[in-house]
Amino acid sequence: MTDFFYENRDVLLFAGAAAAKLLFFLGAVMGFTGLMTLAERKVSALMQDRIGPNRAAVCGLTLGGLFHPVADAIKMIFKEDFVPGRAEKLLFTLAPLFALVPVLALFAVIPFGDYVLVYGYRVDLLIADLPLGLFFVLALSGLAIYGTFLAGWASKNNFSLLGALRGAAQMISYEVVLGLTLVGLLMIYGTADLQQLVRAQGKLLFGCVPAWGVVCQPFAFVLFLTAAIAENKRGPFDLVEGESEIIGYFMEYSSMRFAAFMFAEFAEIVLVAMLAATLFFGGWQVPYLYDAGFAFPGGGSMPLNHYLVAVLQTGAFAAKTVFFCWFLLVVRWTLPRFRFDQLMKLCWKTVLPLALLNILVTGAVLLALGKL
Amino acid sequence: MPNLTIDGRSVEVPAGTTLLEAAQRLGIYIPRYCYHPKLSVSGSCRMCLVEVEKAPKLVTACSTEAAEGMRVLTASEKVRQARRDVLEYLLINHPLDCPICDQAGECGLQDYYMDYSLRKSRFEAEDKILRQKRRAAGPYLMLDNERCILCTRCVRFCGEVTKTAELEVMERGDRSFIDLKEGRALDNGYSLNIADLCPVGAFTSRDFRFKARAWFLKRTPTICLGCATGCEIEAHHYEGTIYRLVPHPNAETNTWLCDHGRMTYKAVRAGDRLGKALIRKGLIDLEPALRETATRLEEAKGAAAVLGSPWLSVEDNAALARLAKDSVKTANYCFDFSAEQGIKDGILVNKDPAPNTAGTRTVKALYGGLSLEEFTGLLAGGKIKILITEAKAYGLVKAAAEAAGIRLIIFARNRGEAPAAAYAVLPYASYFETEGTFVNYQGLRRMTAAAVEPPQGIKPLWAVVNKLASYSGAELHLDSAPRALKDMDF
Amino acid sequence: MISVKKVNNRPLNLLERIYVWEIARGLLVTMRHFFVNLVNPKGLPTIQYPEQPIPLPGNARLRTRHRLKMRADGAPKCVACFLCQTACPALCIHIEAAEHPENLVEKYPAVFNIDLARCVMCGMCVEACPEDAIAMDTGEIPGGAVVREELLMTKENLLRNLPGEPSLVGAANRLANEYLRGKE
Repeated sequence: MTDFFYENRDVLLFAGAAAAKLLFFLGAVMGFTGLMTLAERKVSALMQDRIGPNRAAVCGLTLGGLFHPVADAIKMIFKEDFVPGRAEKLLFTLAPLFALVPVLALFAVIPFGDYVLVYGYRVDLLIADLPLGLFFVLALSGLAIYGTFLAGWASKNNFSLLGALRGAAQMISYEVVLGLTLVGLLMIYGTADLQQLVRAQGKLLFGCVPAWGVVCQPFAFVLFLTAAIAENKRGPFDLVEGESEIIGYFMEYSSMRFAAFMFAEFAEIVLVAMLAATLFFGGWQVPYLYDAGFAFPGGGSMPLNHYLVAVLQTGAFAAKTVFFCWFLLVVRWTLPRFRFDQLMKLCWKTVLPLALLNILVTGAVLLALGKL
Repeated sequence: MPNLTIDGRSVEVPAGTTLLEAAQRLGIYIPRYCYHPKLSVSGSCRMCLVEVEKAPKLVTACSTEAAEGMRVLTASEKVRQARRDVLEYLLINHPLDCPICDQAGECGLQDYYMDYSLRKSRFEAEDKILRQKRRAAGPYLMLDNERCILCTRCVRFCGEVTKTAELEVMERGDRSFIDLKEGRALDNGYSLNIADLCPVGAFTSRDFRFKARAWFLKRTPTICLGCATGCEIEAHHYEGTIYRLVPHPNAETNTWLCDHGRMTYKAVRAGDRLGKALIRKGLIDLEPALRETATRLEEAKGAAAVLGSPWLSVEDNAALARLAKDSVKTANYCFDFSAEQGIKDGILVNKDPAPNTAGTRTVKALYGGLSLEEFTGLLAGGKIKILITEAKAYGLVKAAAEAAGIRLIIFARNRGEAPAAAYAVLPYASYFETEGTFVNYQGLRRMTAAAVEPPQGIKPLWAVVNKLASYSGAELHLDSAPRALKDMDF
Repeated sequence: MISVKKVNNRPLNLLERIYVWEIARGLLVTMRHFFVNLVNPKGLPTIQYPEQPIPLPGNARLRTRHRLKMRADGAPKCVACFLCQTACPALCIHIEAAEHPENLVEKYPAVFNIDLARCVMCGMCVEACPEDAIAMDTGEIPGGAVVREELLMTKENLLRNLPGEPSLVGAANRLANEYLRGKE
């Protein structure tokens, strides 16, 4: 028996580490997504001088509304699971899965820390270390469109279909921009592996400024954020739902099927926040923190335990994620919705040319610096 | 035939007509309290004062006979002033307790005050003469002397219509009041008419007391089924509940209504009203009960008998006849009823307690059948196993049926009227809840009207019969009351 | 006459047309509210109704939850005349009258329910009452309830609010007051 373990030690350790990472990271993401449903209401309430939900109570304890996501879940579970008589049953059932699965799969390539040493073995703190992680992100986010479109089409409802058509046009358009804004990063850091990308952002420019994506590509960051929100179908680009006009592609959905769409939307917020942090804000990087501890540009240093460094880095990643989630909520509750023609005009006539221009300028600068 | 002018319009009336009646012919309404067309003239209330040219003062329209060339003014300033003064006088000692008075809403004082006076009282509330407040004046009446205006309609009614004279005006002058004579009570069988007659709230009904306000009540004209007289009445109801029955005066049959007839509405919402059928005294839904009944009828093939009822409408009797002829397919049925008819007490109550004895004759004319003696003999003969009839009609053949031990299928509205020995009791809608044709002792054909909804799941008898027939395998196609009257010749 | 007002919208300048700066300004406004309210939640104007009372202006015409007034002996002044039920446009009042065995006032409400879930707070019942028996001066604004039954005010609830005062007006109450006067 012990022989078996000894002989297969590498495989077993790899499997154990992968399972642990999966449980830890995906569990954290799922839990945080649940909290996001509360955060959305609380943040919007505070922005509008309100209190927000605070009534759900367990044994008279409200904890500032912390039980509302639980109450929502219970409510969703017990609602009638309604399927319209004329709907395409199979596609109607598949659509929520198409919406949810690609989003959850994308979390696999997000690095949430550098690495930790466990019994001398190096465990990279990301679930799947893909050499072409960036392209994996673009590919899977393109899949999310199927959820939207299938839901709208399979419902056999005119408003649903209208929402789905808007969604398809919007997501395909902004996917192009999303891809183009990231080209600059590829040129500068020379890798599509997200872990390598984050490590590359740990270097210092001019000896003091961290080489984060936002420093090298500030313009691309703004464009990326715009495209990502549009891809996420949230305000000010929420024409797909358009609560005040067409309700949107999930109009005919109820119960847990509807909950799947909502969960996918909130998971996408978390994902966009994580991508923004990973690509443009150094991911898990803390400025001046290296494997051995802090080393400040002035010459000062502060040695730290390896595990403390790992915790700090993961904490930094979490903090950046939370910040961007909050920022996305604030944006959604501040800006009014676009008109559809404005949305398309913004994409094809403004953001896309600017993204191309950004690539051109980046190339020119790199050429001038002789780094190409 | 004197010819006179009232308010500028001339009219010719028979000699002896009073000014009030003459004005009524012209459609001119003269307010009145003591005047009643069916009672003698008293002239005590002074409300009907009118101005007659060349007369030294105003005259009472109810007691002044029309004369040739009279010129009458009913709306002159003098008349209107007189009405205001009379009203003020009548209201001097009135307690103004309209909030607790059942008459409110149909009160002569309220109506005429709004029409003719609308003046503030010049008398302090504290100065009013207090009289005895409410007390029972018989099984059906409450008397409140404080509200009385001494029109004496009640006294005249007891003296002239029922001729029992229980009431009298006691004392004299401003101390006078209406009271029962020593040792008497208002229990003459027509006492509730006094509550209708009383123009104010002095006499009110004990039965209706505090049940509902008059202005909520809806009125549905229908007929009384208390006896063969078949008086025309109005059912007063509100939100599906009947609160009282009042007479609907008509020239043919009735001005008044007896106390017995007024209480017939009580069975409709009585506690023992059947909302479901009974099989061997156990409550069961109508449909399974009808299936069970149909099975029993099937078992007793050829040994079933049907008896109509003078308490049922012509439609329902016809439906029973169709059931016997076309569904049970037997000749053992009887719609032959007869009773001595005529007014018993000289006022309204009939010798025949059944409302539709005359109506069953038309059913018999169309469908034939056995005579009641033959039918009773048949039951006693022991050949009959099962009998379908209505609860009250069962009383006519009870002795014979009990002796022969016949299985009973009884139609009944209330549990109390159904015999305890009944195998199945089938409920049906009362005639306050459905339409039905009745023929009274004068041969007048009259319809009841649906004033309120029947209880949930309760249908008219003809509909129950129709269903029973279809469970027995023979469709009668009785889908409406007129359908049951098909081929019937009135 | 329809008056026409011409609005001369100022054309956007360059900074405004670039849009990003204006977005940032908008975000700053909402973020300021967010942080101010986060730090100082007491400053929010929200009232935790119904646990927290709503401050009401001292207006004599203010209509708040009903109450039934009492006579000196604690019986309701109401004589079940049904006028409030008649006047009520929302059909929220349900009365069942009964007869008093003693010669106080012969009629009294055995049941007097006001369904606040249906009430529109119009005050017609107060206007209609000939006995001055119903008032809308409790200072409570009804509405917050978890189950509907909480909004059904019975006679007992309606009587419990303020201490009774002897009736001064109302014809039927005259008898009651005389009776009480004799009793004292």
